[in-house]
Amino acid sequence: MPKVKVNGKEIEVKEGTLLIEAFKQAKEDIAHYCWHPGLSTAGVCRLCMVEIEGNPRLQIACNTVVTEGMSACNNSDKIKETVKWGLDFHLINHPLDCPICDQAGECGLQDQYMKFGKYTPEMSEHKVKKHKVVSLGERVVLDSERCILCSRCVRFTSEVSKTNELGIFNRGDRAEIGTFDGKPLDNNYSMNTVDICPVGALTSKDFRFRQRVWYLKNGTSICTGCSTGCNIKAYYNEEGLFRIKPEPNPDVNVYWMCDKGREIYKHINLDARLTEARSGQAGNWQVRESAECLKEAGDAIRQAVKDVGPTRVAMVLTGQHSQEEYQELVNFYLGDLACREIYHWINNPEQMEEFDGILYRGDRNPNTKGLLGILAKEKVNAPWKQLEDRLNQDSVDVLVVAGPEDPSVFPDLMEKLHLFGKAKKLLWLSSTKSEIVDQVTTPTWQIPLKTFFEKDGTFVNFQGKKQEFKRIATIVPKAMGLTDVTKVLSGRGEGASQGDKSDLDWKKTNFFVQQRGPL
Amino acid sequence: MMETKLLTEHYDKDEYIGLDGYKKHGGYEVLKKALKMDPKAIIEEVKASGLRGRGGAGFPTGVKWGFLPDNGEPRYLLCNADEGEPGTFKDRAMMERAPHQLIEGMIISAFAVKSNKSYIYVRGEYQMCIRKLEKAIREAYDGGFLGKNILGSGFDHDMDVYSGAGAYICGEETGMISSLEGKKGQPKLKPPFPAVQGYLAKPTIVNNVETLAAVGPIIRDGAAAYRKHGTEKSAGTKLFSVSGNVKKPGVYEVPLGYPLIDLINVECGGLEPGRKLKAVIPGGSSAPVLTAEEAMKATMDYECLQGMGSMLGSGAVIVIDDTNCMVDMLKVIMHFYHHESCGQCTPCREGTGWLHKIVNSIVTGEGRLQDIDLMLRVSRQMMGKTICALSDAAAMPAISFVEKFRDEFEFYVREGRSKVKGSLHA
Repeated sequence: MPKVKVNGKEIEVKEGTLLIEAFKQAKEDIAHYCWHPGLSTAGVCRLCMVEIEGNPRLQIACNTVVTEGMSACNNSDKIKETVKWGLDFHLINHPLDCPICDQAGECGLQDQYMKFGKYTPEMSEHKVKKHKVVSLGERVVLDSERCILCSRCVRFTSEVSKTNELGIFNRGDRAEIGTFDGKPLDNNYSMNTVDICPVGALTSKDFRFRQRVWYLKNGTSICTGCSTGCNIKAYYNEEGLFRIKPEPNPDVNVYWMCDKGREIYKHINLDARLTEARSGQAGNWQVRESAECLKEAGDAIRQAVKDVGPTRVAMVLTGQHSQEEYQELVNFYLGDLACREIYHWINNPEQMEEFDGILYRGDRNPNTKGLLGILAKEKVNAPWKQLEDRLNQDSVDVLVVAGPEDPSVFPDLMEKLHLFGKAKKLLWLSSTKSEIVDQVTTPTWQIPLKTFFEKDGTFVNFQGKKQEFKRIATIVPKAMGLTDVTKVLSGRGEGASQGDKSDLDWKKTNFFVQQRGPL
Repeated sequence: MMETKLLTEHYDKDEYIGLDGYKKHGGYEVLKKALKMDPKAIIEEVKASGLRGRGGAGFPTGVKWGFLPDNGEPRYLLCNADEGEPGTFKDRAMMERAPHQLIEGMIISAFAVKSNKSYIYVRGEYQMCIRKLEKAIREAYDGGFLGKNILGSGFDHDMDVYSGAGAYICGEETGMISSLEGKKGQPKLKPPFPAVQGYLAKPTIVNNVETLAAVGPIIRDGAAAYRKHGTEKSAGTKLFSVSGNVKKPGVYEVPLGYPLIDLINVECGGLEPGRKLKAVIPGGSSAPVLTAEEAMKATMDYECLQGMGSMLGSGAVIVIDDTNCMVDMLKVIMHFYHHESCGQCTPCREGTGWLHKIVNSIVTGEGRLQDIDLMLRVSRQMMGKTICALSDAAAMPAISFVEKFRDEFEFYVREGRSKVKGSLHA
């Protein structure tokens, strides 16, 4: 463990640490654009200049490996002057269009200029003109004039996604980012280039112009898009959720997440949600109170068990909900009712084992491993064929389904509901509304569930790693967690969700939003 | 004093270009001698000769060879023939007049550093050089000087010519390696240095044409004989390509330490009648300019020019007489560096463009007096801040032109025209 002096502070760092990392470890400010901990060193922005004792030339901290006894500083006048000018060089051909730039508020140029800048612009000549609003692919837009050619995005496509779509074309101050042969940037990781772009050169087509970032709040959670369980940050305000970004976790997703995972905010937003409980069947749905429906369902379950026996009630679980919820539900089912008919709904069996070699897995459930763990512990995982046979023989009185949080990852939804409809009564627990569910012909209770965004819990990812997540905000006040559902079903309580108010109320927000209406 | 023709002795004979003519004048005899030597002894001999890189940086060649790690990996020898510095054309003369001299020097060097493969990276514009080198390499293969088991020594060596596409930056050794690897020609971060991780991430030695050619005479006559030429710290002879306002521009070989004024007046026949010497760029367009007074005192060696704040560089002497406007000249130089910056490092990418725009605005009559100092400040912030030396190469002439000929810049700003009678914008 080499010891190093950083601006006079002595710290101990790991073998092979870069000087720039040592500065960060010592909590010393160091300007930089091109260096990113998840990518190779390019050493081109020339901002992380340091003076190293015994070396007459200024060095860049991002290409210097710390050695025992090294002493470096970046608070000398010489370095301060260098960084000031370095930032000025970055800005002389930058359009300075912050008022209309989507990156404003979280822009490296803005932040670092405020901290280290020269404040006396001296460039009076015409700026270089470059291409603007270049669509690089389905999800990413390029503004070449804002680009500072740090090459992070190019290195990302060559080192992480290994798709090599991007390159820097032309030379000198005419250089521009582009795609080879005009081939689009459309790999499943393309949005990471937007995240790592330190300026507003690469912006997300999905997010741009929808919100100013300073109007957004955020909270960390776990991505529910697949069994990898990438750590994420969800950005939201009173109008809803707007985007998902990765949160670094060296054991799971390092610094990245896939583009599919970023879509998950869409089914959490109000317009996709089942907002109230209802009962009935195709063509005849009545809006009801969740507790009322659940009490009815609970009575029906107990009645069936009492009259005919525990095999008349079946339960279908997906890998979509949390450990705590499943444990409650399973305990009630096995304990109170002494039923053992629990089935695991595998939503896309052909793709379950798929893996793209980076992050994305074919198992598009966040908690398959956790659910299977509980079922194995209780020894209750019955074969799917058995459920099919029983439903076909008309011998299921009540079927409880803890359904999909995101129906788009259940390609077999229609087919399965056709099967479930053969039960005499169906209790459908799901956070999203679905036209397919509304077509069910058997008497059904639909209960709105909370999404991961609205509840605490734990997911177990494909590695078996337990990852806790916390409630960020409430969107649907009437939605319940499976824990509450179990309470009401078993008659042990009323469920706590009734009093919750939504944190997302667009009417509360500013005048313009009121004029415009919700997005 | 007179020229000392250690390398250029037979350049006037056309037959020297072909293998037979080259052999007639003692060609490939040194190779025979070298192949019987211990490779380490050759490196020691080159170290002892004091030969310094002739491409511009002047790094001791033997020392550079000594950096190769002894790890049994394949290693490459690259000949840097991407002669792009404005004013430089000595490598071209060497390749056109004596391709075999370079090839022989390269085989000896390759034998010394134990490399079985070398490339000559030639500037794309030098089509005649490429043709002559390719022909000479074929002849060398036919004569048994290249290929397997050269002259029965057990040493194998293959050589290829690789054409650049006219980018100045590919003359920077890591830029050249990138280009040779098929990538965009832009310099790589150092460390790692090419001697450790170069072409295809293998140990690589990159030497200039003249450096490699000079290895022949050193091995032939011994280090001591080579050291008799030149000064103590700048040993041997050097080819200078003299251009500009002299009667006989051309390539001249003189010992290092040769007085600059003699090179101009004796070798090149002096200036046109009635003209006065105003300035000399002693080492290619990136070298800081010398005023006439400085040029009178200068000797052509590494330490004297360095002492004057300039450099020997590639040995491209550009002679400027009193009919030239320094502002106009700087504009041309700045255009060059702006055009050639690879665009990787921000200070260079933006700085070269900025300097070019400033000097351009002065020339078009839109300059402001503060622009003159701004040029100095911008240039100083470009020095020593980038991966390669192109940024410095652009900054050095800008600083020296402005500092030494400030009156011309101020006149241009105030009057909107050049101060120099007889110049383009007077």
